[in-house]
Amino acid sequence: MEASTQSNVSSGVAVQSNKRKNSLLHRLRQNKVAYFSLWFLIVLHAVVFLGPFVWSMNPEELQDAGALASWSLQHPFGTDDLGRDVFARMLHGGRVTLLVGLAAMLFSLLIGTFVGACAGFFGKVVESVFMRITEAMMAIPNFFFVLVALTVLGTSPIMVIVVIALSSWMEIARVVYGETLRWKEYEFVEAANASGAKSIRILTKYIIPQIIPSIIVSGTLTIAAAILTESAISYLGLGIQPPTPTWGNMLQNSQQYIWTAPVLGILPGAAITIAVLAYNFLGDGLRDALDPRFVKK
Amino acid sequence: MLRFLLNRLGQSVVLLLIVTVITFFLINLAPGGPASTMRMEASPEERQAMIEKLGLDQPIYVRYIDWITNAVQGDLGISFTSSEPVIQRIIERLPYTIELTVFTIIISVIIGILLGVLSAIKRGKAQDHMINFMSVIGLSVPAFWLGLMLILLFSITLGWLPSSGVGSRGADFDLWGWVSHLILPVLILTTTVLPNIVRFTRSSMLEVISQNYIRTVRAKGAKESIVLYVHALRNALIPVVTIIGVLIPRLLSGAVITEAIFGWTGIGTLIIEAARGRDYPLVMGVTVMITIVVVVCNLFVDLVYSRIDPRVKNV
Amino acid sequence: MKKSKWKFFSTLLLSIVLLAACSYGGDSATSSGEKENGNSTGGGPKKGGKVSIPIVADPTFNPWHPNAYAESNVINRVLFSGLTQPGKDLVPAPDLAEKWEASEDGLEWTFFLRNDVLWHDGEKFTAEDVAYTFNEIVLNKELGANNASYFQKLKEVQVVDDYTVKFLMESPVAALPAYLSFNTEILPKHIFEGNDPWELTSFNKKNPVGTGSFKLKSYTSGQNVVLERNDDFYGETALLDEVEYKVLADANTHVAQILSGELSIFALDDLAALERIEKAKGVTVEGRETTRFFWLIVNQTMEKYQDVRVRQAILHAIDRQNIIDTVLKGYGTIADAGIAPALKEYYTNDVTRYDYDPERAKELLAEAGWKDTDGDGIVDKDGEPFKIDFEIGIQGDLEAVSQMVQQYLVKVGLDVKLNAMEWNAMVQDVVVNRDYEMSLNWWRYPADPDLSAYMHSNSIKGMNIPAYQNEELDKLLDAGAQASDVGERKAIYMDAQKLMAEELPYMFLWYPQEAQVRVDKLKGVPDLAFGDALHYIHEWYIEE
Repeated sequence: MEASTQSNVSSGVAVQSNKRKNSLLHRLRQNKVAYFSLWFLIVLHAVVFLGPFVWSMNPEELQDAGALASWSLQHPFGTDDLGRDVFARMLHGGRVTLLVGLAAMLFSLLIGTFVGACAGFFGKVVESVFMRITEAMMAIPNFFFVLVALTVLGTSPIMVIVVIALSSWMEIARVVYGETLRWKEYEFVEAANASGAKSIRILTKYIIPQIIPSIIVSGTLTIAAAILTESAISYLGLGIQPPTPTWGNMLQNSQQYIWTAPVLGILPGAAITIAVLAYNFLGDGLRDALDPRFVKK
Repeated sequence: MLRFLLNRLGQSVVLLLIVTVITFFLINLAPGGPASTMRMEASPEERQAMIEKLGLDQPIYVRYIDWITNAVQGDLGISFTSSEPVIQRIIERLPYTIELTVFTIIISVIIGILLGVLSAIKRGKAQDHMINFMSVIGLSVPAFWLGLMLILLFSITLGWLPSSGVGSRGADFDLWGWVSHLILPVLILTTTVLPNIVRFTRSSMLEVISQNYIRTVRAKGAKESIVLYVHALRNALIPVVTIIGVLIPRLLSGAVITEAIFGWTGIGTLIIEAARGRDYPLVMGVTVMITIVVVVCNLFVDLVYSRIDPRVKNV
Repeated sequence: MKKSKWKFFSTLLLSIVLLAACSYGGDSATSSGEKENGNSTGGGPKKGGKVSIPIVADPTFNPWHPNAYAESNVINRVLFSGLTQPGKDLVPAPDLAEKWEASEDGLEWTFFLRNDVLWHDGEKFTAEDVAYTFNEIVLNKELGANNASYFQKLKEVQVVDDYTVKFLMESPVAALPAYLSFNTEILPKHIFEGNDPWELTSFNKKNPVGTGSFKLKSYTSGQNVVLERNDDFYGETALLDEVEYKVLADANTHVAQILSGELSIFALDDLAALERIEKAKGVTVEGRETTRFFWLIVNQTMEKYQDVRVRQAILHAIDRQNIIDTVLKGYGTIADAGIAPALKEYYTNDVTRYDYDPERAKELLAEAGWKDTDGDGIVDKDGEPFKIDFEIGIQGDLEAVSQMVQQYLVKVGLDVKLNAMEWNAMVQDVVVNRDYEMSLNWWRYPADPDLSAYMHSNSIKGMNIPAYQNEELDKLLDAGAQASDVGERKAIYMDAQKLMAEELPYMFLWYPQEAQVRVDKLKGVPDLAFGDALHYIHEWYIEE
C-alpha cells in the first residue's frame, strides 16, 4: 500500500517535471535572445573545451615568432608580450575561466540549496538561524572579504573557487527557501509526510526535484556572476596566477600594454563580456519562461 | 515598534561580532604576518623585533580579546604600517568613498527610476526590450575592462578626462578639476548598480499597475498619464526604497574595483593597501566600519519600510 | 513627454562632453611655477618652477622606519641629508661630513662634520644628532631599523666634539662611507629624544624636520606631498620652488600623466609602455646604470644543487638576451658576476660567460648524472625525474621574466613548476623559512663592490639566501671588505668576480638599467639613476 502510493506519487512528479521542462524549453524558444544565447554557449564551450585538441599549440611555450608578433596563419591572434600564441592562450584561458565559473556555481548551488531547503523545510530554529545567516551574508559587501581572504590565503584555483562560491550562494538560498515553502504545502508532499516517509527523503525525493528549474535559473545567473568575480579579482592580481592562463589574468596582464598593444586586452575582455552576457540572457530568459506573469501572450 | 527595533539592533550586534571574529582569525591565518612585509634584506632579528613589537607573539585568542575589548570602547588600535590611529586613517579616506557613492546613488536612482518606469509602461514594446537589453549588458561588462576602455578613449585618445586621481582638494581647488576626476569613476560605478534599480522599479511598477485600485482609477476615466505618474508611480516607489538596502553593499563592493582603477583614494584602496601590507588593525577597522555602515543602512530601511508596511513589524 | 526627456538627457550629456573638451587641456604641473627671480636671457639655470614625481603609496618621513619603502626613500633623500652622498661618479662624496679618515687598522673612522647646518626648525645640527641616530635607533636591535644590517659591524658612534664623530667598528668595513650614503639619513635628536622613533607620528607622518635642500610644505594622505625650497640650506640653494610627490598607485597612470605633462620625472619600472613614451614629444627616456643585479637561485642546502654543473647548465639553458630584449626592452646588460657596470672601477666581464646554449646545458646535466633515460622529455637520475618548484613573488616584471625562464628550463628537460605568489607569502617561504627550491629576484646594493652580505658563508642566515658556501670566496670577500686602498680592492674584486662567475653562488641574470623618463623641460638632472640624481635636486631647473 505504502509502496504503491509512493511510486504513484513519484511517477506523478516525474511526469510533472517532465512537462515543465518541455514547456520550459518551448517557452525559452519564444525568447530569441535567450535561445540564441543557449546555442551560443553550447558552441563556446565546445570550442573552448575541444579546441585545444585541434589547436594543440602549448599556451605557455615561447614561439619563434617572438613577442608581440601580429597575426599570421601560424598565430591567428598573434603572440603576446612574452611571445606565446594568443589563440592557444584564449582557448586554454577560456577553459579555466569557464571551469572556475562552473565549479564555483556548483559549489554555491550546493551551499545555497542546502541552506534554503533546510530552512524552508524544517522551519523553526533551523529556519531562523539559516535565514539570518543568509541575510547577514547578503548585507555584507562580500567583495571586501573576497579580497582579504585571497590576499592572505593565497590564490590557488581551489581557493579562488571556494571564495567565489562562499560569496555568492545567498541568492540561491533565498530562492530555494521560497520555493521549498511553496512546495511544502502541496498535497503530494503532505501525503508523503503523512505516510511517514523520512524528512530527508521527502526533501530530496519530492521537493528538490520540483525546484530544479528555479535552481537552474539561479545557477545560470551565478555562473555569470562568478566569471565576473574571477576577472575582477584577477584585475587586483588575486586571481589564478600565470603561467596558467585565464581570461581574467590575460586581461590583467594586458593592462600594461594598453598603450602599445591594446588588442591583447580587447580579446579577453570581449570574451568575458560575451560569455557573461550569454549566461545572463539565458538566465533571464529561463526565469521569464518560468514565471507565469511574464509569459508572452 | 520598540521591540522590533531592539530585536533588529540585537541581530546587528551579533552580526558585527561574527564578522569581526571571522575576519580576525582569517587574516591571522595568513602565511607570513606583518614581519613578511619588511624588505627582503631584513634580518631574522629585525623580523623578530617587529613581531614582538606588534605583540604578535601572543596567542591569537588573547589578541582578539584585547582587540575587541578596545574596540568596544571605541579604540580601533594603531595602524601597523603608519603608526597612526586606525580611526584617523579611515576618516581621512572615508569622504572620498562617500563622495563617489553619493553621486552614484543620486544619478543611478534618478536614471534608474525613469528607465524602470518607462520600461514598465512600454512593457513588451521596443523601448522595454531596449532598456532590458542595455541592463543585461550593464550587468555583464567587467567594470575594470569598461574602465580601461573608457580611459583609453577619454584619457589617452581624446585627452578630455584625467585617467586617475581625485583632483586637488586643497587651496587650489577648482570645480572642473573636481568634476572631471569624478566623471569616469561615477560612470563605472553607476553601470554596476543602475541595472538593478531599473529592473526593480520595472517589476514594482508592473505589480502596481496590475492591481485593482489602478484599474478602478482608470475606469473612472482619469487621464492615463495621471494614472501612471500620480497613482501608480507613487505606490511603486515604496518598495524601491528597500533596494537602497541591497544597493549599499553592492555599491561598496563595486567601489573597491572602481577605486582601484582610477586611483581613487577611498576605503576601497585602503582595504587593498591594508590587506597587502598585513596591517591587521587597519583591515579590522575598515571591516568594522563597512559593516556598521551597512547595518545602519539596513536598519534605516527596515524602519522606513515598517512604517510603510506595518506587517513587517512582526518578522 | 518621453521625447523631451530624452532630449534633455542628450543635451546634458553633450554639454558635459563639450565642457570636458574645452576645459581639459594638458595643464601641466611643470609650467605652473612662478618665474620671479629668473634671468630671462634664456639658457642656463633659472630659479622657479616645480617638478612632480610619482610615488605609489603614502610615505613615512623617517628613513629608518621599517615601513619606509621606495616611496619614502625618494622623499627622505630630499628632506634629510646623510653624512655622505653618492658622487656623480658614485664614489662617496661629502654631504653632512666634509671629510673622513680611517685609522690604520680600519677599526676607527673619524667624520668631520659641517658646522653651518640648520635643521628645518632652525636648530643647529651637531655631532649629537649623528650619535643619536646611530646609537639609539640603528644599533637598537629591538627597533629593527631599516638597513641596520649594513651596520652590523658598527659598535658605536662617539662624539668627539660638536662637529666630529668617531665610528668604532668591530672589524674593518671599507664600504662604510658608501653605506652612509644609502638611505641612512640623520635624524634630529632634539625632536626624537625620549620618544619611540617609530611611534612619533607627529614627525614620521606630519612634520618631518630635516636638513635637506627642501622642506615639507604640505602632505595629504593618499594624494600628495609638497616640498618647498629650504632657503637656509647649507649647500647651494635649490633652483626649483617646489617638489611635488603625487601618490599614484597605478603605473599606467604614471605614463598617462607624464605624457600629459602632469609629472616630470620617474624611473619606469614596467617597460611595456616604453614604445609609446619614446614616440611622444617633449619626453625623453634614457637608460641609466644602477647597482642592481637580477638573480635566479637554487637552494644549495639541497644536494642536487650543490653540483656546480647543474647551476652552470641552468644558466646555459636560458636565453638571457632574449629576455632582456622582450621584457626589459633592451634596458639591461647580461650579468656575469654580481658587481654591476655602474661601479666602473670594479666591474669586469673578463670572466667565464654562459652563452645561450641548450645543447651545452644538456651536456652539463648529463655530466652531473641527469639524463633522460625514459624518454619522457624530463631528465632523471637514479629513477628520480628532475622536478623543480619555482617560487616567485608577484612584483614588477618578475612574473614575466620567470615565465620565460621556466619555458627555457623545460626545454632542456627540467620539470619546472612556476608558482607565482603574493609578495609577502614569497618572503615568508623563501626568505624567512628558506623553504624553497628555486626563486628569482634582484638585489640593489650601495655603490660599493662588497657583496659579502649576499654570498659570504657567514650571511647564510641573512641575505645569502641560496646558502652558498665557499672558503675561497669568503677569503676574497673578507680581504675586499678590509682593504682600504682602491687599487688593492680592485685586484681582489677582479679575482672575486672570476670565482663568482665560475662557481655561480647565484645564477646571475642581468644588470638592469633604469629607464628614466623625464620631460624635456626639466634640466640639470645629472646622468645618474633617478634615486641618485635626487641627491642633486638642488641643481634641477625648469626651462620653458
